[in-house]
Amino acid sequence: MTADLYATAAGLIGRSAAAFVSGVPEEAADDGFFGPTSLTWRVSADLASPVAGLGSLLMQALHPLAMAGVDQHSGWRRDPVGRLAATSAYLATVTFGERAAAERAAARVRRIHDHVRGTDAVTGRRYAAGDPALLLWVHAAQVDSVLAAGSLVGTALSAADSDRYVAEMVAAAELAGVPRPLAPASVAELELYVASVRPTLRCTPAAAESMAYLLDPPGLDEEVAEIWQDVRDAAIAVLPEWARQMYGYDAPPLSPGRRTEIRQSLGVLDALFLGEPGVLEARQRITLRMRARRSA
Amino acid sequence: MKSRTLLATTMAGGAAAALTLVLLRRRLGPLRLDRGRAALRLFVRGGARYAASAPRLFAAAGEQRQLLREDLALQTAEDVAGTLGAMKGVMMKVGQMASYVDGGLSPAVRRTLARLQDSVPPMSPQLAAAVVEDELGAPPERMFARWDPHPIAAASIGQVHRAVTLDGRAVAVKVQYPGIAETIAADLGNVALPRRMLRIAAPAQDVDALLSELRDRVGEELDYRREAANQRLVAAYYHGHPTIAIPAIIDGLSTRRVITSELSGGARFAELAAWPQHERDLAAETIYRFVFRSLYDVRAFNGDPHPGNYLFHRGGKVTFLDFGLVRHFSPAELQPLMRMARTICVEHDPEAFRRSLENAGFLRPGAPLSTQAIVEHLAVFYDTIREPGPRTITSDYASSVVRRFFDLRSPVAGYIAVPQSYVILQRINLGLFAVLGELSATANWRAIAEEIWPFTHGQASTPMGQAEAAWRARRQAMAA
Repeated sequence: MTADLYATAAGLIGRSAAAFVSGVPEEAADDGFFGPTSLTWRVSADLASPVAGLGSLLMQALHPLAMAGVDQHSGWRRDPVGRLAATSAYLATVTFGERAAAERAAARVRRIHDHVRGTDAVTGRRYAAGDPALLLWVHAAQVDSVLAAGSLVGTALSAADSDRYVAEMVAAAELAGVPRPLAPASVAELELYVASVRPTLRCTPAAAESMAYLLDPPGLDEEVAEIWQDVRDAAIAVLPEWARQMYGYDAPPLSPGRRTEIRQSLGVLDALFLGEPGVLEARQRITLRMRARRSA
Repeated sequence: MKSRTLLATTMAGGAAAALTLVLLRRRLGPLRLDRGRAALRLFVRGGARYAASAPRLFAAAGEQRQLLREDLALQTAEDVAGTLGAMKGVMMKVGQMASYVDGGLSPAVRRTLARLQDSVPPMSPQLAAAVVEDELGAPPERMFARWDPHPIAAASIGQVHRAVTLDGRAVAVKVQYPGIAETIAADLGNVALPRRMLRIAAPAQDVDALLSELRDRVGEELDYRREAANQRLVAAYYHGHPTIAIPAIIDGLSTRRVITSELSGGARFAELAAWPQHERDLAAETIYRFVFRSLYDVRAFNGDPHPGNYLFHRGGKVTFLDFGLVRHFSPAELQPLMRMARTICVEHDPEAFRRSLENAGFLRPGAPLSTQAIVEHLAVFYDTIREPGPRTITSDYASSVVRRFFDLRSPVAGYIAVPQSYVILQRINLGLFAVLGELSATANWRAIAEEIWPFTHGQASTPMGQAEAAWRARRQAMAA
């Protein structure tokens, strides 16, 4: 097996929590790119977030060139938890940070992407991480997973709110380097885009191996290991049927009882997250800002 | 999947006065054994501190206003569901029960539960008033002569407000979070997840027995009418007692989600550290008498020995608060406990003790163990009452009881089973030891036990015992 090439996933919760806390400012000079009234803030607090996150990775990995970039450059095998934490920190900063902080974080990521170039062994195609087409896929896969995870095991958004959320997220796409006109601005546009990319997607060996690791990471903290099984089942259920088929996952739809169970599991996971230093305070800062805006 | 066939056992125990010794069994798969052991080690290391130092959630009506984050107050029932739904309310209840077991949690889980408690803000004055109006039929300003809209304390699944009744009595009004009963009941109704969660929160416990007991007890606790009934029962029994005080329930102002009782003053557990030792000993004696008188005479065990539920007065008087978690026992359930205490402490008959364990379901009949090994394993739980004479219960002793309780290595541990009806009792006993140990309390516990044991008829052994005997005589005269 290849699993022993990977470092363990110990500390996943602690480091994800630290990443989240690092992105939420103590005193914010401005509301950043989204702000307290945005759906983006609301959605990112949803219990379904870990499912959305894992679902995003599963979707994103199906793009051979995106996967090759991660596989060949990011030190992902050496420090998978660190790599995930870096992504979490980026997302938290872009979501909750001041504009300047979000722009700095995005500029840093774009600089790193400039050096990520190569040839995908499977397709023989050259890739560059800064390629807007790849960035767009990564963006769209994430937005799509967030919506799907919310409606399956979290708080589902109405059709209108879903559109609004997709539209809000155009700002995130732009920060990452996607030209604004390319980013989907409604659910319909998102679906069209995903359908258009589908023919190029496939489960490469790198994707299969990385995702197998993520679905059953060795060395998870004891408190998390069992809960992760639920997160995994939910993330697989969140995938579109064709994506499940590419991976060869054979998963019947979740029964209502199983969905309840998973929601409860996510609540426990959230409580463990809350036990990490600074998380409660960061959430309280967010709540207070949302309240201040509501009553203003 | 993981078969959990290997039988490992944890042994639980204890009672100061006696009787209880309760044994918990846990099944572990071979691969999990090390994990289980690690959890146990963490457990034991946790020590007595947690039970004594985390009263925030459990604090009931007291004098000092706690620092509650009113800026974050829950404003709607949806806020309540968001904060306490998805297992969080259940986890807090489990944590509350597990905390009796003397820090019976890993540091990570302990931290999580403490943070969970911190994460529950009070209800806004409007939301609390709305619950009162729903329950009592009119807003608090009309139901009470005076109503303090700001809570004085967080209570489990609710908060406590001070008020003055229309006829002028100072009262504490506990108001339940709206929707919380339904949320917790729904989460407890799902079988699989609570089991999984319990394995996290209570790694060394028999999950099935615990879950089933937990469902019953938490279900009861969600209905304040049950709590009011328990408190009335216990208050009626102790009416006129020289040192045990139970605040009276105000009948017309107590419903499913609101419970109104007399407001009590007194010192908090933490303040006792500054009291002279003889005052601490008196307080301990009262707590001890309360716990075991309640068990034998009321056949009810207050399931919440948390220090936050005591208010102390000079001279040994203690006010007992919060009767949400009361376990009632049938005579048939008490009989085996008495039999065990009697055979080991009074008759000093090891073989009879062994038979009593087997009859009660604590010990597998025919276990290939010497009776001496069994007695040695279990004697620590009766240590303070096997022989007469003054004994000091120290924190070290309390910890040693906990360690024995979770000692998996003993050959005896493999033959011990757990009758479910004693699960809570045993946890409470450990909590009692922790409290008495924290007080470094000295007394002739055996002599006091003999006063209380139904099978010994001991004479009053202390001034408090004499006052109590006089009170009992008055009770009987009135009943006759």
